Amino acid sequence: MEAASISHGHPADRHEHHGPPPANRSSRVEPQFLGMLLFIISEIMVFGAFFTAYFFIRVVAENPWPAEGTELPKLIAGVNTAILVSSSFTMHWALEAAKAGNRRGLQAGITTTFLLGLTFLFIQINEYVHVGFSPADHAQGSIFYGLTGLHGAHVAIGLTLLAFTTIRAFRGHFTPAEHRGVEVPGIYWHFVDVMWVIVFLTIYIL
Amino acid sequence: MINPLRSEAEAFRLLLYVLVAAAAVAAVVLVARAIL
Repeated sequence: MEAASISHGHPADRHEHHGPPPANRSSRVEPQFLGMLLFIISEIMVFGAFFTAYFFIRVVAENPWPAEGTELPKLIAGVNTAILVSSSFTMHWALEAAKAGNRRGLQAGITTTFLLGLTFLFIQINEYVHVGFSPADHAQGSIFYGLTGLHGAHVAIGLTLLAFTTIRAFRGHFTPAEHRGVEVPGIYWHFVDVMWVIVFLTIYIL
Repeated sequence: MINPLRSEAEAFRLLLYVLVAAAAVAAVVLVARAIL
């Protein structure tokens, strides 16, 4: 501890920096954005593994889709898709409001996004209750619950991020100059929506 | 679009592109199924 009190060099060389030195940055991308980008890339690989299983069951093994005697609720899933896609529009609106310094717009946009995401998740859980088969019944059931459940887990993670963003928006943490706390969850939320569009297309439509 | 996840605006644009592509694929497949 004694060493810490010893000053080094000329007094003019001293600076007022406290704490650890700034982390080295090897990328032009800001650390928060880089972290989210790497996370999303890893998530794409996870989804890729599930889609591989889906196409193996359906194309390579030539199993019927959906399994014989089962039916997927396309209409409800379509409405749910519209709900989730509309939440991306409100997310975009929220960030644009933050950039413009429109605090009420940000609060309304982010709250609406959260509620739409929550509605999507409730409808999906309701679908599981009424769909009429379980993951243990057949391979098609396993991959249906696997893919939609994996996506549902991502919606839940996104809702957690949005919950923090919503609280921070109501506490006035965001300004036109500093709004990374809205933008980074926004990138993740759009990624979740992109994945759902692909899941909906392959599972319900094709 | 070098990196579609560089910003929220780029990610939102990617979503719109994916929506259009998904609608096109769905339309082609459904029409092909109806014809064949």
